[in-house]
Amino acid sequence: MASLTPTVGGSRARRAAVPFSQSPASGTLAGVLTSIAAGICLLLVVLMLLFLLWYTWPAIRYNGLSILSDITWNIGNQYGTGSSIHNGVAAEPGAEFGGLVFLVGTLLSALLAMVFAVPLALGVALTIVYRLPERLRLPTNALIELMAGIPSVVYGLWGTIVLVPWVGNHVAPFVTHHFGFIPFLGGDAGSGNGLFAAAIVLAIMVMPIMVATVRDVLLAQPKSIYEASMALGSTSWQAVTHAVLPSVRTGIVGAILVAFGRALGETMAVLMVAGNAINILPQNIFSPINTIAAVVVSQLESAVSDASGVAQRSLAELALVLFVISLAVNTIARVAIRGQDRSH
Amino acid sequence: MVSHVKRNVAISRFWWVLCIASLVGALLVLLSLFGFVFVRGIAAIRPDIFVTVTQGIAGGLANAIAGTMLLVTLAVVLVVPVGIGAAIWVTQFAPDRLRIVVRLSIDVLFGVPSIVVGYFLYVALVETAGWGFSLVAGSLALAIIMLPYVYRAADLAFSAVPRDLVEASVALGARPLTTFLRVAFPWALPGTLTGLLIGVGIALGETAPLIYTAGWSNYMPTLAPTHSPVGYLTYVVWTFINEPFKESHQLAYAAAFLLMIGIFVTNFVARAAVEYWASRTRSHA
Amino acid sequence: MIPTMSPVDMREERAEKLIVQNVDVFYGQFHAMKKASLGVAEHCVMALIGPSGCGKSTFLRALNRMHDLTPGARVEGEVLLDGENIYAPEVDPVSIRHRIGMVFQRPNPFPKTVFENVVYGPRIHGEKRREYLLEVAERSLRSAALWDEVKDRLDRPALQLSGGQQQRLCIARCLAVDPEVILMDEPASALDPIATSKIEDLIEDLKREYTVVIVTHSMQQAARISDHTTFFLSGELIESGTTSDIFTKPKDKRTEDYITGRYG
Repeated sequence: MASLTPTVGGSRARRAAVPFSQSPASGTLAGVLTSIAAGICLLLVVLMLLFLLWYTWPAIRYNGLSILSDITWNIGNQYGTGSSIHNGVAAEPGAEFGGLVFLVGTLLSALLAMVFAVPLALGVALTIVYRLPERLRLPTNALIELMAGIPSVVYGLWGTIVLVPWVGNHVAPFVTHHFGFIPFLGGDAGSGNGLFAAAIVLAIMVMPIMVATVRDVLLAQPKSIYEASMALGSTSWQAVTHAVLPSVRTGIVGAILVAFGRALGETMAVLMVAGNAINILPQNIFSPINTIAAVVVSQLESAVSDASGVAQRSLAELALVLFVISLAVNTIARVAIRGQDRSH
Repeated sequence: MVSHVKRNVAISRFWWVLCIASLVGALLVLLSLFGFVFVRGIAAIRPDIFVTVTQGIAGGLANAIAGTMLLVTLAVVLVVPVGIGAAIWVTQFAPDRLRIVVRLSIDVLFGVPSIVVGYFLYVALVETAGWGFSLVAGSLALAIIMLPYVYRAADLAFSAVPRDLVEASVALGARPLTTFLRVAFPWALPGTLTGLLIGVGIALGETAPLIYTAGWSNYMPTLAPTHSPVGYLTYVVWTFINEPFKESHQLAYAAAFLLMIGIFVTNFVARAAVEYWASRTRSHA
Repeated sequence: MIPTMSPVDMREERAEKLIVQNVDVFYGQFHAMKKASLGVAEHCVMALIGPSGCGKSTFLRALNRMHDLTPGARVEGEVLLDGENIYAPEVDPVSIRHRIGMVFQRPNPFPKTVFENVVYGPRIHGEKRREYLLEVAERSLRSAALWDEVKDRLDRPALQLSGGQQQRLCIARCLAVDPEVILMDEPASALDPIATSKIEDLIEDLKREYTVVIVTHSMQQAARISDHTTFFLSGELIESGTTSDIFTKPKDKRTEDYITGRYG
């Protein structure tokens, strides 16, 4: 089945196609039309970036670096007189747009999700490739793809009704009681909505795509590596961990990075289980958090009511920050993958 | 030497048990998810759901269903010419240097979180251009999100057309356009269609960007392109579960159920049909 | 069938390192090897010859339980290494492969450095001492006639070596485990003539310390390097004997037809 996964492995397939027209593109109508289509793709990216920059510029000036370092998010007193002016930009008095809470929430939830998801995905992929009987392979792959196709809101729905109560009533009290001496695990057990639940949901969401990629990468390896290791008297686990996995290391790292990028940008599921924290940093693993993606949705209405417009632009600035972070992660992923293509 | 072997074999067995456990665990989670949505969803489906609108907190899903279908259909209309056209340009016409520009843009689009797309269109179209929450803004958001998937599938599909088939056609004296239409395009069609279906599956499940572009409406969608918000199923799932009313929850489950059916049909039934058709109509050594 | 020996060879009578008794190999329903029995003498080179598809590789793989890796493959019968059946239920295949090593048709070095490749076996078995590993590496590479060519490049990727060098690296890797028997599945078929002759010289040397069983599609190669030869056809072991007997006085007509080139 064609894979749902973007990037990883894509660069291998970028052979030049066989062109059918010898004449330059400018000649044919088809050439012109399709080049417009290609131009639109490029334009979209450039437009998005530029427009967001232009739109958020006042907020960038108003907030400076505090958008990343400040905890308080306050659209200001809409009914007060006067304004709060920074760098020539005026907002309502008392307005402060600090996004540290959201930044921390985004990074922590995504990182914790990867801590859960990576071993899980590796275990599942290895089982599928090395342990599953042939006839079970197709249904299992189908089920994995099914998981990948479930929308974020449905994961959020399940999270709200099934996961959060379980965390709040069983997991959190248990952990904070018995393991409270470990930093970040003790303290308030919370209601279930929080970092832990968000990380679990994110992990479940990114796992299927990682599994599919790792599985494809493992299957693309020639069998001779595994056989050679076995012939030297290794156990099957040794053959996998010492011979096969090291040779696909880059592909796996790429898959992990892509999944991490996805976890950073997930919106709805996180919105529904993370607890919607405002102006407070997480105290422990069960504290409510907020991510940039989630807060952009949840604060829309409130921001719209800001007469000065700086609130909306600050939200847009947060979206821009998320854009830049995602871009960085994906670029690193691509560079890492290209590294593999060259070293062989 | 022997004791080492026994230990290593035991270690090996231990880790494989863990790996199998992780697969079992993942499948259990899937079971929980599915069971949950199906059981509660099916219970909530009544025939009148399809003909009543949401009426605020309860009622039916007619407007949401119609809205989803309208938004996705229009998104497909928008994304197909751009995505496939660009892929054709890159694989058939583009000089080597320029290929990478488009492919890079697509790679970037893959990495843009959908909320960012939504917010961009919100400030650009809904606010600055003054179109308000609208069908066009919503469909555009979905189209942009689908674009990388459609493009990539088409790019791979057209790149994979076997060289010897093309050469055979050219050697028989066919003009470039003929070769393209009769050899390349049919060959690339299944892969491209699959990419489109993947994109549709994703579009069906999107929420956040639509909140910012299509807004929400309790009424059946009009065909007005602007200034008229549109309802959609994913919104129902998100907001109605947070209402304190049982009827609202019912609607949320029903909406989730319908979404899963739609996505299942798109991702499995339709794609399986495409693969079956592809394997029947061609076998190339 | 125990290989018969001419009077000339009597004085060199060797113990039998490997005894194969009534081995059948099935791939699902397909009966790939029918009731084969053979004795392999210690410190000798035994060549397995026959036309393609005759089952010689299948037979070879049964000797180190490589069929365990193939789902659907089944081996019946006994293979005795120094009198002990390697297929006995209490025997762990992993331990067998310490004593019976294998070199494959296509060189398959790991995508690691030369050094890492050679010491892979000892590492897997728990050896950590760096000096010991260096010693083992040098010893194995010398035995594989590769030391001089790689001694300055131990930390470079193994995949940068030429095909012939990679195959000798695989042999060194196999030797580092200190096996007693070395199985070779057409080890030179993917190599050019010069690399091939290097491998053949190597095999001549190896039999002093090890017992070698080699599958080859080239009769000339078998005639050149082996002491004993066994002929297979369509999944059956037809005949086995000293190389000179097989090539000059074959007992079975089918062997004679193959030797004289009527098919193959």
